[in-house]
Amino acid sequence: MLRVSKVTLSYGAEPVLEGASLKVETGQFTSLVGPSGSGKSSLLRVVMGLQRPKAGLIDLAAGLGQVGILFQDDALLPWRTARENVALGLRARGASKPEAGREAVSWLWRMGLAGFEERYPRELSGGQRKRVAIAQVLALRPSLLLMDEPFASLDAIVRHRLTQDLLRWVEHEKLSVLLVTHDLEEASQGPRASVRECYHVPIPRPRDLVQARAHPAFGPLLGRLWQDLSEEVGELHAATIQPLRREA
Amino acid sequence: MSPNRAWARQLAALAAFLALWEGAARAGLVNPFFLPPPSKVGGVLLTLLSEGSIWPHLYATFLAAFLGLLAGIGAGAVLGFAGALAAYVAELLVPVMILLNAVPRVILAPLFVIWLGIDIESKVALSFVLVAVVMFFAVYSGIKDVDRRLIERVKTLGGGRWVLLREVYLPSVVVWVMGGMKVAVGFAFTGAVVGEFVASSRGLGYLLSFAQSTYNAALSIALVLLVIAFVLLLFGAADLLERRLLRWKYR
Ligand SMILES: Nc1ncnc2c1ncn2[C@@H]1O[C@H](COP(=O)(O)OP(=O)(O)O)[C@@H](O)[C@H]1O
Ligand SMILES: [Mg+2]
Repeated sequence: MLRVSKVTLSYGAEPVLEGASLKVETGQFTSLVGPSGSGKSSLLRVVMGLQRPKAGLIDLAAGLGQVGILFQDDALLPWRTARENVALGLRARGASKPEAGREAVSWLWRMGLAGFEERYPRELSGGQRKRVAIAQVLALRPSLLLMDEPFASLDAIVRHRLTQDLLRWVEHEKLSVLLVTHDLEEASQGPRASVRECYHVPIPRPRDLVQARAHPAFGPLLGRLWQDLSEEVGELHAATIQPLRREA
Repeated sequence: MSPNRAWARQLAALAAFLALWEGAARAGLVNPFFLPPPSKVGGVLLTLLSEGSIWPHLYATFLAAFLGLLAGIGAGAVLGFAGALAAYVAELLVPVMILLNAVPRVILAPLFVIWLGIDIESKVALSFVLVAVVMFFAVYSGIKDVDRRLIERVKTLGGGRWVLLREVYLPSVVVWVMGGMKVAVGFAFTGAVVGEFVASSRGLGYLLSFAQSTYNAALSIALVLLVIAFVLLLFGAADLLERRLLRWKYR
C-alpha cells in the first residue's frame, strides 16, 4: 500500500530523518512508535507531499487522493460549520454543494454528531471537534489512513470511545492504517508496532482497549516495547542519531 | 461595582465634568472666549443643525470620508492580498508602503489639491491614501500568518488553489479587514477633514478653518463634536457589519 524508502530530511542543518524506511501492507494496521521530536510527524508530512525530503522515495500504490490523514491537532476551519468543514473535501473533489452537504451530514451522524451539524468549531468540545475531523477524512473514503497521535489531546474516556469508534470503522472497511504515536498503548491497537523491529501483537481482533489491556500478552509486549524504546532514546541522546530509521 | 452599571458611572462622570466646566465659566474662573461653556456650545450646535446650513458641509465631509474609506479598504485589501501571496509583488509594494507608513501622509494634502482641485476629489484621495496603507499592512501581515495548519489541512483534503482561496484566504482577509476597520474609519475622517482644512469651499474642515480664523471657539468645539458623532456612527455600523460577517466568532 505504502512504501517509504530511505527518506532523509533535515530542517536547516539539523537532521530529522536519516534513511527512514517503512512499509504498510494493504489492509494492515501498522504502528510507528517513537519519542517526541523523533520525526514521526515530519515523516507523515513527507508522505503527504507537504514536505520535500532531501532524499528517498515514497511509493504510494493508490495515489495521494486515496490517502487520508488525521493530524495531531484538530485545526478545523473556524469560519465553517461542522457540516461545511466535512463537506470541504467532498466539494474539492467535485461534488455539488447540496450533494456534499448531504454526504457530510450523514458522516456527522455516523460519528455521533447528529444535531451539531450547524455548529462552528468554537462551539464544539475537543472530542466533538476530533469527531468532525475524523468525519472530514473518512467522508473521502480513503483506502490508506495516516494518523498522527490522533487522540493525544483528549481525556482518557473520550479517547477510549473515539478509538473504539474509529477502529470499528477501520476493521469494517479493511482500511490500511499507519498510526504514529509516542504512546505505546495506543500503538498496541495495531498488530504491527515498530521501534526498530516488527512486533506481532497476538491479541485477537476486533480489540477493545480494556480487554486488550487485560490480555496476558499485553503486559510482556508493552514491557518489550518500552525497553526497546528507551534504548532508542538512550541512543538518541548519546549519539544524536534520530531513532526512526530502521525498517518497520 | 457591577460592570453592567459602568455606562451609568461613565454618564455620571461626564455630567459632573460638564457641570464643573459650566460652573467654572459662569463663575468667571475661565475665560468664555477661549473656553465657552457647554451651554453655549450646545446652543451653537443646535443652531447649526436647525438652521440647516450645516447639512451640505456634513454631507461633503461624510461623502469624502466614506468614499476614501471604501476605496482604501478595497485597494489595501487587494494589494495586501497580492503582496502576501506573490513574493515579487511584495518586493515592490512593501518598501513603498513602509515609506508611506513612516511619513505623516497628510503632507500629501497640498499635492492632491494641486492635482485634483479643491473639490471632493482631493479629499477622497487623501482619505484613500491614509486608509489604504493601514489596510495594506493589516491584510498583508494577516495573510502572511494565516494558520499553516489550515492550509495543509485543506491541501490534504484535496483542495487546490481555488479552494484554498475561497475557504482559507478570503475568510482570513475578512477577519483582518474587520480588525483594521476602526483605525481605518478614524483615518478616513482625518483625511477628509485635513483635506478640507488645506483648501476647500465646503465641509467640516472648511468650517473649522473658518471658526479658527474668526476665533470662534464655540463653533470649533461644536464641529469637533459633530466629527466625533460621525465617527461613532460609523463605528456602530462597522460593529454591525463585523457581527454579520464574523458570525462564527460571535454567535
Ligand atoms: N517546520 C519545522 N522547522 C524546523 N524544525 C522542525 C520543523 N518541524 C519539526 N521540526 C523539528 O524536527 C524534529 C522532529 O519533529 P516532529 O516530526 O514533529 O517529531 P514528532 O512528531 O516525532 O514529535 C524536532 O526536533 C522538531 O523540532
Ligand atoms: Mg508529532
